Amino acid sequence: MTEATIPVTSIGTTGVSRFAGIMRSLRRSPAGFIGFVIVGLMVLITAIVPFFLPEVAPNVKEILLPAGSPGHLLGTDNEGKDVLIQMIGGGRTVIFVGFVAAAISTALAIVLGSLAAYLGGWVDSVVVTLSDVFLTVPQIVLLAVLGAFFRLDSPILLALLVGGLSWPVLTRAVRAQVFSLKEREFVEAARLLDLGTIRVVFVEILPNMASFILMNFMIGVTNAIYQLVGLYLLGLAPLTGSNWGIMLNRAWIAGAIFNDASLAWILSPVVAIILLLLGLVMMTRSLEEILNPRLRDR
Amino acid sequence: MSGAVDTSAAKLIEGPAVEPRPSAAKRFLNAWLVRRLFKAVLTIFIVTTGTFFLVRLLPGNPVETYIQTQIAQTGISYEAAAAQAQNLFSLDPDAPLLSQYGTYMLNLLHGDFGNSVLSPGTTVAEVIKTYLPWTLFSVGVATVFSFVIGIVAGMIMAYRRESWVDHLLTSIGSLLHAIPNYILAILIVVFLGVKLQLFNLTEARGSYTPGVEPSFSLSFLNDIFYHATLPILAYALTTVGSWALVMKSSTVETLGEDYVTVARARGLSDSRIRSGYVGRNAVLPLFSQLAVSLGFVVGGSIFVERIFGYQGIGFSLFNAVNGRDYPVLQGIFLVVTISVVVANLAADLLYSQLDPRIRVGGEGEK
Amino acid sequence: MSRVTTTPSGKTSTASPRATRGGQGKPLLSIRDFKVEYRTGAGATVQAVRGVDLDLFPGESLALVGESGCGKTTFGLGLLRLLPRLGHASGKVTFNRSDGTEIDVLGLDGKDLRQFRWRDAAMVFQGAMNAFNPVLKIRAHMHDTMRAHTKAGKQEIEDRASELLRLVRLEPSRVLDCYPHELSGGMRQRVLIAMSLLLEPEVLILDEPTTALDILTQRSVVDVLHEVRERLGFSMIFISHDLSLAAELADRVATMYAGRIIETGGVRDMFYRPRHPYTLGLIKAVPPIVGDLPDMESIPGGPPSLAALPKGCTFSPRCKFATEECKEEDPALIPITDEPGDAHEAACIHWKQVHLEREVPSDLGNAS
Repeated sequence: MTEATIPVTSIGTTGVSRFAGIMRSLRRSPAGFIGFVIVGLMVLITAIVPFFLPEVAPNVKEILLPAGSPGHLLGTDNEGKDVLIQMIGGGRTVIFVGFVAAAISTALAIVLGSLAAYLGGWVDSVVVTLSDVFLTVPQIVLLAVLGAFFRLDSPILLALLVGGLSWPVLTRAVRAQVFSLKEREFVEAARLLDLGTIRVVFVEILPNMASFILMNFMIGVTNAIYQLVGLYLLGLAPLTGSNWGIMLNRAWIAGAIFNDASLAWILSPVVAIILLLLGLVMMTRSLEEILNPRLRDR
Repeated sequence: MSGAVDTSAAKLIEGPAVEPRPSAAKRFLNAWLVRRLFKAVLTIFIVTTGTFFLVRLLPGNPVETYIQTQIAQTGISYEAAAAQAQNLFSLDPDAPLLSQYGTYMLNLLHGDFGNSVLSPGTTVAEVIKTYLPWTLFSVGVATVFSFVIGIVAGMIMAYRRESWVDHLLTSIGSLLHAIPNYILAILIVVFLGVKLQLFNLTEARGSYTPGVEPSFSLSFLNDIFYHATLPILAYALTTVGSWALVMKSSTVETLGEDYVTVARARGLSDSRIRSGYVGRNAVLPLFSQLAVSLGFVVGGSIFVERIFGYQGIGFSLFNAVNGRDYPVLQGIFLVVTISVVVANLAADLLYSQLDPRIRVGGEGEK
Repeated sequence: MSRVTTTPSGKTSTASPRATRGGQGKPLLSIRDFKVEYRTGAGATVQAVRGVDLDLFPGESLALVGESGCGKTTFGLGLLRLLPRLGHASGKVTFNRSDGTEIDVLGLDGKDLRQFRWRDAAMVFQGAMNAFNPVLKIRAHMHDTMRAHTKAGKQEIEDRASELLRLVRLEPSRVLDCYPHELSGGMRQRVLIAMSLLLEPEVLILDEPTTALDILTQRSVVDVLHEVRERLGFSMIFISHDLSLAAELADRVATMYAGRIIETGGVRDMFYRPRHPYTLGLIKAVPPIVGDLPDMESIPGGPPSLAALPKGCTFSPRCKFATEECKEEDPALIPITDEPGDAHEAACIHWKQVHLEREVPSDLGNAS
């Protein structure tokens, strides 16, 4: 929900040094580092550990066991499936779709934003008007309506839908940045050398916005996960398999909230989602502080 | 050493170096606000047109699906099914596209959004009329609360930068900002409702106690606030964090402005500086965020209302989504968008009253 | 408070536009060993002002001249206790009010500090561009200022503000209702001057009053300052890098370098007989209006970073008179003449060698 603009000092020139620079800055901010660790750990755990876990199987004899029951650390759900296993295995899809959706919207935003700023004229007007309209419409409602109109069968479709609707915010920010960078000397120089629009935009301008784009990408992941889990909660996303969103949906429908024994069932995806989002937000905030030194508590 | 310039007083009394204020009519036409109005109308136009084409043109569009389903389920002819569809969606599938569009727009202007599929006999307009006010009420109250508390908290955080108060509030704010609204609602149900039993959840369902006559009496007002408390709490908690954080950074920036130093040099009291100089100016940029925030919160009502059983537009939207009630979906989508656009406009109006740099002429930033 | 009257309070107006020869009676503002240091994160500190001794007498106008970064703005801010959070002032600053009370400025707190500010000493800031609250009209600014110090009623404030606005050659009925962004830069500067005089302060500090203004507006602001000083007779410290401004408005001039005052004297002495190489350099860098173009010299190099000052005399690296001795110790101010109120002092051990060689046509000798 926030935008930031970058001062020009921050960034190195080559890819490697830039990455190292970002890592260094993250380490300087304890909150950002913690966030990075949290996200990293969760990605690793949800990606790798499920390979070592048994398939989660329904077991009619072990329905709705509370947390701490023998063999089931977090209890079972209303089909007898172990909650802990579901929780560990449930992150993969969510994280994957979240990242892909954010990647799609970031890519869209970069292309649209920089072209709009660089080319100006009617291209710019169209992009601005479109993004204003999209920004005004409440995104969840649009998502729900589109989700109802079209059947969302696969994660890819989900990612496409979520990513395809989230581009406006980043587009405006990219556009603003490119506008300001456009006037600077090295761009002037590249233009004079007749290097062609695409080359100027992608080789000269964008690398200078790397941290900025990274930060917005992470904000994008946060939003995408929010919308994705929301879609599951609304029953609009395919409910086969088991991930955090599906767990939430099923737990809610089964009324797990009102039953003391099944609290772990509904709270585990909640905790998992909160942790992941928190980690992302912490990383984002520290990146934001780096980019906007005035916010730094020094 | 008197200068070489003729300093006779008569010559040099001056007034402002601006052109004389243009006439009222011209000012009106130029005004920034009018441009916002135009933009709002344009947005609504684009959205309604977009919805129309979305519904009609894309493969697997709801109208065709409905017709096919009807044919498959009840075996009626295509024309009969189409007639039914026409009635429901208030459009004629066979007429040329442009005339369909024309009818659609005309109907919209008359407030005809079609009829509900799930509840036959009810027009979409009726559904909207029944449920929308409740959402507007709860979201509105929550936004006001959240905005005010957020502003105060943000200023405290800025004035006491780096103190433990600041760190604590920043952490709380970031935490609240990170948690999605539906999760927060679930947590509220779990902790306030089930665990601590502060609220009787079944009693609090619905927008008002069933059977009670709506009126302007105090007891009725009491009732609706009681029922709206949990949703309002959920909305407010979700947004207060970001208001506080944004206000903090805006206040920090304002504190660094020259006129604040000059105000201190003039010997103004701290409280005067805080309210009239820092607060007044720091809060201005937040109004442009108000628009986005409203849209977001209204969207969130689809989850929050369902979780608390509050019968507003989000609640009916959820039902419509589940039941694939396309006319209702379309209608709600349009109405919600229009509400947000109108609310944005209101926020813009407020902003233009607060920032004199915006008012006259077409100048000033968005 | 009896200070609020609708007519100028007929203060001791100086008989001639130039200062009373000081030394009679107590100085208005007595500054001893004034230092300002900034914390620069990581525990380090930088001294922006490194020990200034200064006296300002009633009705006197003092110019503080120096390049950017020499600490002159910090000095001005420090006097009114307006340093940012990371700044800290020390030393002794005594303000002797005309009613006899003595105020220790650096020891003021809370309400006393608020009252001192603007009532006894006011400051006109550099670049009045952003000195006003953008959401308040000028009238509201005037009200705020007077209400903070007095219990004056609305009409009284209007009258007083209008009177002062006319004094700075502005039409009150049009200016009072304007928002700051509706006024031009020069007008804002003049409004700021008018506002600074609302409470009849005895000292007015101006920081670069004419920088960022075009030449014509500069002229009008300078004229306004002349007139206003004649009418109200307050003392003035103005900070500038503009020598010509000093020549016009000042009775005494002090040059500042790397956080210290390195020469001070009456305006004639400073301009015709400078004794510090830096002052000499400043004067020689500006061509005279009449006479042949002399050999112009600019001062080589740039001012030192306050965080890494050279050993000994801070000017020695750039000084053509420098010897090994100069690098040993930062010289204190050495008295050159001692006419009461017109004392000329310079912080240079080689001051005797410093001469300004310029042909001055005799008919200019009676510069007022």
